[in-house]
Amino acid sequence: MTTTDPLSATLFALADPTRRGLLARLATGDATVKELAEPYDMSLAAISKHLKVLEGAGLISRGREAQWRPCHLEAEPLQAVSEWLEEYRRFWDRSLDSLAEHLKELQQAAPSAPPPPRKPRR
Amino acid sequence: MSALRKDPPMKIDVDPPSVEEAVLVMRRTFDAPRELVWTTLTDPKHVAKWYGGRGFENPVCEMDVRPGGLWRHVMRTPDGAEFKMEFVFVEVVKPEKLVWKNVDHGKHGGPHDNLMTVTLEEAGRQTKWKLVARFTSLADRDAALRMGFTTVLSEGTEKFNDLVKALAGN
Repeated sequence: MTTTDPLSATLFALADPTRRGLLARLATGDATVKELAEPYDMSLAAISKHLKVLEGAGLISRGREAQWRPCHLEAEPLQAVSEWLEEYRRFWDRSLDSLAEHLKELQQAAPSAPPPPRKPRR
Repeated sequence: MSALRKDPPMKIDVDPPSVEEAVLVMRRTFDAPRELVWTTLTDPKHVAKWYGGRGFENPVCEMDVRPGGLWRHVMRTPDGAEFKMEFVFVEVVKPEKLVWKNVDHGKHGGPHDNLMTVTLEEAGRQTKWKLVARFTSLADRDAALRMGFTTVLSEGTEKFNDLVKALAGN
């Protein structure tokens, strides 16, 4: 990956369903590579690779002990993604709400249908 | 702000066919004829009235609506912060399609840059608005796709937000 900004790194890490699954598992508590690999039809090496990506994005941290290196979820980068998506969505929600109001005002100011004919004055 | 606050009603939708693409899709139906919606989308005098939403002001809005034309914009938030934005129009098909993207001066490396496509479709007396945000902000398009806006967004922002919240342990 050529981009290095943290949000991009997080999104890249989240792009893979296996990695999202691993994160979801870690949200319930720390786990070892072996434990994390259990539900998957994948080699430990493959799982380790995914974990490396997650670690690189700062989404997980690993214990220090050589044999027992539980993975731990780091939620902060996820919040950045959530905030970014949320802001983006909210911006367009708000804008299109305002656009709808503006359209209404415009049409009330200049109704497209001709006004009903007036009664002739005497 | 907190990402974990209670969400307002969700209006963004993700197209099932767009699952393989790095896009976010938003739809809205307006009770107005298409020509009028087009005007409000392409006339700076109107855009300044709605861009950003209620409480937002747009002290600068200059649009040169033709392919390659610039859209210079300053948006002021309700608390007074100003955001300077610059876009360039990529495609202009009156009154049905408008495409624009950020002007990248090399300072945007992140996914904040994107290609916006608005299409307007007549539906009786109403107009269907579709906004497609295509994320091409990364070093190149392939990287953008690999990067997984695709997958992240195909989850749907709502589901995705649920996941993020669950993962964040809240």
